[in-house]
Amino acid sequence: MNGLNFNSEQCARIRRHLDAYLSNELLVETTSDVLRHLESCEACSRELEARTRVRDALRRVAVSQIPPEELRQSIERQLRKMQPGFFGGPQRLTWAVALLLIVVVLGGFATEQWIRVQRGRRIVASVLALGVSDHLQCAIKGHNYPNIANPPEKLRQQLGPQYAGLLEVVQQKLPGFEVLEAHICSVQGSPRKYVHFITRGHGTILSVILTRREGEQLPNGKWFVSGSSGSVGLYEAHLDGMNTAGFESKGYFGFVVSDLSPAITVQIATELAPPLKAALDAGTGSEARLDLDAVPFARGGSAGVSPAVARASCPGVPVL
Amino acid sequence: MFFHPKPRVEDFEAAAMPHFPDLYRTARLLAQDSAEAEDLVQEVYLEAWKSFHRFQAGTNCRAWLFKILFHRLHHFRRRWAKAAKVGSLENPETQDSLIAETPVPQEIRDEDVLQALGKVPIEFREVVLLADVQEFSYKEIAETMKLPLGTVMSRLSRGRKLLRQELAGVAQTFGIRPAKDPPRAGESA
Repeated sequence: MNGLNFNSEQCARIRRHLDAYLSNELLVETTSDVLRHLESCEACSRELEARTRVRDALRRVAVSQIPPEELRQSIERQLRKMQPGFFGGPQRLTWAVALLLIVVVLGGFATEQWIRVQRGRRIVASVLALGVSDHLQCAIKGHNYPNIANPPEKLRQQLGPQYAGLLEVVQQKLPGFEVLEAHICSVQGSPRKYVHFITRGHGTILSVILTRREGEQLPNGKWFVSGSSGSVGLYEAHLDGMNTAGFESKGYFGFVVSDLSPAITVQIATELAPPLKAALDAGTGSEARLDLDAVPFARGGSAGVSPAVARASCPGVPVL
Repeated sequence: MFFHPKPRVEDFEAAAMPHFPDLYRTARLLAQDSAEAEDLVQEVYLEAWKSFHRFQAGTNCRAWLFKILFHRLHHFRRRWAKAAKVGSLENPETQDSLIAETPVPQEIRDEDVLQALGKVPIEFREVVLLADVQEFSYKEIAETMKLPLGTVMSRLSRGRKLLRQELAGVAQTFGIRPAKDPPRAGESA
């Protein structure tokens, strides 16, 4: 080795690379250049050795700095104190937001369900109130039935050919009850009409009432339906001192109304609802669909039964 | 992702505590005394734990911790006495003078290194420590210190040079001769 080239341009160039060489950051080609030069330049080799010696001394001094064990233990203690609970730590805000969202969503859902149930119950009550109102108006207040049951022929005549078939269904499914009267009534101040069977049994008066739905519908769901008979859902209510059980067919609401206990009223409706629904849906055996407007005397006695008969059968309410 | 998995302190300790000695040694050589170094390291760990849920497992935990260390260090510096001015080192003439060799003692005592290191401005000292002690690459240092790569290279070069000069000065103070007299300009070795 010789130092003849010290301060030469080549030495200066190599020394500019010495720091990167020491850090192993040079490209392979440049590293080769440096190594070749160092083999022939004592001064640069000495400079590299000096720099390496300083670096090694620095590392030795760094290693001699012993980390205090107490510091490590102190850090670990503090870390364990900061261990978050399930809803703690850095995700605390995330959990809070998530919880709030869940509460809002569930609360909104519960509120919506509550509103839906309340609205459904109001609809059920308003529909069942029709049957109770008809029963009270025609049978109880109007006392629109004879003490001795009208003969079936008369009842069938009053019902007209389209509803006459229902009489047999009512008679069969109401054992212990006598059908005193059957006719078609209308509601004062309303175009609504209804088929009314007034029966007597168990020491009281019981009405079976059928009226067109006019697009209205009873709500479905366990919150509203109190029972079922076959595929027919039953609804019940206690209104104006009367117990009523209702059902619906394709075009009609049906009601059983009496002051008997709710259980008996529902039991009677359970027996009556399926065959009445089937008969109404089928048109009581006739091909024509049941239509209260098509009942002859309901149109003013244009055929079959005279208006006078109709009025006499239901004096408490006007009959069309 | 909306939900982060809940970090466990055991996982954090397993990932971070093995680097405790390196962090302490670096902090100790940058802080003015051991108390400040301990405060610094403690803050690094507590801050790292708070943001551990953002740390991606499998990435370089050591580099992440050092990044936090230097972030905290900048806060500490405000409390520390101002480091030696480095303005003169930006002077081209000064840079030229640094090209000249510095006589480094053959035997370097630990206390001399500590004394010399304390005289190197902290901006240079931290780069030297990261490169020469912790063996970070230039790229890692640039990312850790948030510095351009060229600045890292120049600070490392000047920091090493300053350390050699300070070591030489310390050695002369105690009458220690350099390993070999440096050749003077124009003189063959």
